[in-house]
Amino acid sequence: MTTSEKPKVKTINRLKSMYALRAEVDKMYAAGEDATNTGKPVAWVMLGQWAEPILTAMDVISIYPENYGSVCAAAGKAAPFLEASDAEGFPSHVCGYARNCFGYSAKMKELGGAIPPSAPMGGMPAPTLLVASSEICDARFKWFQALGRYFNAPLGTIESPYPGLKESIEPGTDERSVQFLIAQLREFVTFLEQLLGRKMNWDKLDEVARGLAGINRLRWEINRLRKAHPGPMHSKDLWSSITAAFFRGSESKAILDGFQKMLEEVKQRVASGESALNVPEKFRLSFDGLPPWHSLDIFDKLAARGWNFVIESNYRPYTPVNIDLSKFGDPLERYVRERFQSTNNTLEGEYTPEEAAAVRDEITRTGNSTILQIKHVRDCRCDGMVIHILLSCRSASLNLCAMQQKAVDLLKVPALVLEGDMVNASLFDPADVLKKAEAFEETMAYYKQMRKEAGIPW
Amino acid sequence: MVKQALQGMAKVSAINQDRAQRVLELQQAGKKIFGYLCIYPILEMLTAFDIVPFRLFGDINEPVTKANNFLPTVVCPFLRSYLDLGLKGRYSFLDGLITSHICDVGAGVPAIWNYAIKTPYTYHIDTPHTMRESAQAYHRKLMDSLQASLEEYTGRKLEPAKLVDAIKKHNQQRSLVRALYDLKKPDPPLISGAETILMIKAVQSLPVDEGNNLLCEVIAEVKARKNGPVKKAGRLMIWGSILDNSALVEMIESLDANVVMDDTCVGSRPYFDDVKITKNPLDGLAGHYLNHIKCPRTFISDYFAQQKDHITDLKRRYGYLGDYARDWHVNGVVMEALKYCDTHGYEVPSVKDYFTEIGLPSIYLEHDYTLGMMSPLKTRVQGFLEIIA
Repeated sequence: MTTSEKPKVKTINRLKSMYALRAEVDKMYAAGEDATNTGKPVAWVMLGQWAEPILTAMDVISIYPENYGSVCAAAGKAAPFLEASDAEGFPSHVCGYARNCFGYSAKMKELGGAIPPSAPMGGMPAPTLLVASSEICDARFKWFQALGRYFNAPLGTIESPYPGLKESIEPGTDERSVQFLIAQLREFVTFLEQLLGRKMNWDKLDEVARGLAGINRLRWEINRLRKAHPGPMHSKDLWSSITAAFFRGSESKAILDGFQKMLEEVKQRVASGESALNVPEKFRLSFDGLPPWHSLDIFDKLAARGWNFVIESNYRPYTPVNIDLSKFGDPLERYVRERFQSTNNTLEGEYTPEEAAAVRDEITRTGNSTILQIKHVRDCRCDGMVIHILLSCRSASLNLCAMQQKAVDLLKVPALVLEGDMVNASLFDPADVLKKAEAFEETMAYYKQMRKEAGIPW
Repeated sequence: MVKQALQGMAKVSAINQDRAQRVLELQQAGKKIFGYLCIYPILEMLTAFDIVPFRLFGDINEPVTKANNFLPTVVCPFLRSYLDLGLKGRYSFLDGLITSHICDVGAGVPAIWNYAIKTPYTYHIDTPHTMRESAQAYHRKLMDSLQASLEEYTGRKLEPAKLVDAIKKHNQQRSLVRALYDLKKPDPPLISGAETILMIKAVQSLPVDEGNNLLCEVIAEVKARKNGPVKKAGRLMIWGSILDNSALVEMIESLDANVVMDDTCVGSRPYFDDVKITKNPLDGLAGHYLNHIKCPRTFISDYFAQQKDHITDLKRRYGYLGDYARDWHVNGVVMEALKYCDTHGYEVPSVKDYFTEIGLPSIYLEHDYTLGMMSPLKTRVQGFLEIIA
């Protein structure tokens, strides 16, 4: 099948519950438009788990330039913004989301603060404030700092601890990280209170935080069901629905309902053996890296070959924390303790005690774990991984080659390496992907035999 | 042993031919040798434990081959080279390795190193990126953890007096490097930019006392010599990401320019502020390594500013560059960054804005850690020098 041909039938069996969640992201941009009319403060916020509930509790509208980068990419509208970023002097290798944002901001400045006419989905209104985070990617601090060229908006920061793997399981590390986060957030709340001239609504924060924890738990339960054969939920459904969890999570009632329906639908599929594909599942794959938002239809074409993307390494829900929050009187402490992710938490929540002990031992001895980054491949019994190396994203690309090595070493699961970008369509060649896919099927068949010989049970 | 007899710049040159020779001798005599990556690991702590710190670099002359299996091509070429050398056994003599959270890739590579290379002891410092009160407190606690880890490794308690002594020795080194840089203020400078890089690399290959002795020798030699750099039209400052070889600066200095100042990490960055000796020496160390090293990996800002103004922000972040330009009589700036270095890449337009604001011409060069890049870059630098002239 060529890239221009569309499959005759819909090859991916989309979850019906996904559509309502996908539509939620539209509301984020509508809220931004409303804010322009009502004078509500608008924050440009980086993806991360800490800021939005606090902003919501302070009645600030959150808009996510990273999401807007994927919106522009998916709408085919990113290229002029990327070019404008280059013209501003930013290197072309920096984050595609950031470049989209720089170009957008430069155009907005040229227009005296008006939304560029070419902006899809109504665009992002000019920010009242910027909220930068080091979560996921620490260079993002520099991104929002660089926006000072275009906006005089105050800039708040939230820093996340990232101990090394060996250090992360040492006694005292988790508590030190928790205290650091609480202190960071307290400073952030002070910053907001001074800026907005009003007090934090702690009850509202509690409410939003509980809702978000509920959403995460539902997503976690859904993901656990994805081990089933055939895979009941395709990666495209995850990518379409996560925007609701990440960017609209503070509207927790609607989103909770949406993910509850998704959980029920996936459960139903597992019970009835219904696949995420409308064709027979021939190969089970993991997608590792950020998706090519501009070329998602490639997955429909791969589905036509029987490729079911049953799991991913990005955008995974964190392991729910089971602690009694009532013993913490400080709402910020409750907030952090319920959402803090650590290696210890992952080991306790996702591994048997015996395997957790073995992983700890390996980390202590070697400073590394072979299984930690590729457990999803083993759990879902994948035949292959597709890893997407992104020209403009170091944090998402950094570990992919090492994961590829580990998957081959430990699980005898091969990877198809694609090079591209999450925003810049010109760096991704769908025709080449399809050509490589055909050859990769032979590789997967070869490794299946290798697994059999090694006694690996799939 | 021949190198022991060499002095000054001849010794610097010899060390750069074989950086590990001296530490291997020390290792044979029973010393522990720890590699460290970038400039945020706490060297004074190692010295106080009688461990020799040895800075790890890449090698622009060695094509990256083995690291391709572990790191994609779209990450920092310096760190790819560094990992590649590790995979090829260049650093197999190390007893330990100290890394820090310099950037995303710098924070991620240690785990890959541990998977693929395995150095007997490793420690990673999660150096914060902000300088807020909470980050200061967090960084201070990390000093305690590093101390505890090194105590466990050595089987010895850290003696505060030894730590203070180590701080004094490293401060002396900082002072000597600043004295060396003072020799770059005259016109012509007494030492070239390329020689400066080699000098810093040599110092970072030796125990602190030996590095200090070498600095004294070189300062005396350079002051006395008659064949130093000649006067040229360009007095340039270099700002940017790591230059762990002198090729780029040599190329610039082959033209009508001297590189008289830098803001790079194999240059002035680790040396232009002293560690304060505090009642608990760890307080001074924690404050120094977070607050006083000016790499853009640390987010400098007025954190609680309710009003922002771009120019005020630029002056807060880069005012020291203006001071350098004034004191070293700089008439042009070369901004350089390795391809895929986001930390410096995001800064480029703002740094350029700052130099424009203070009336200094600047040029931005992006390079990929290969010698092949020098020829096209040379053409651009020639054009820039014509503008300055």
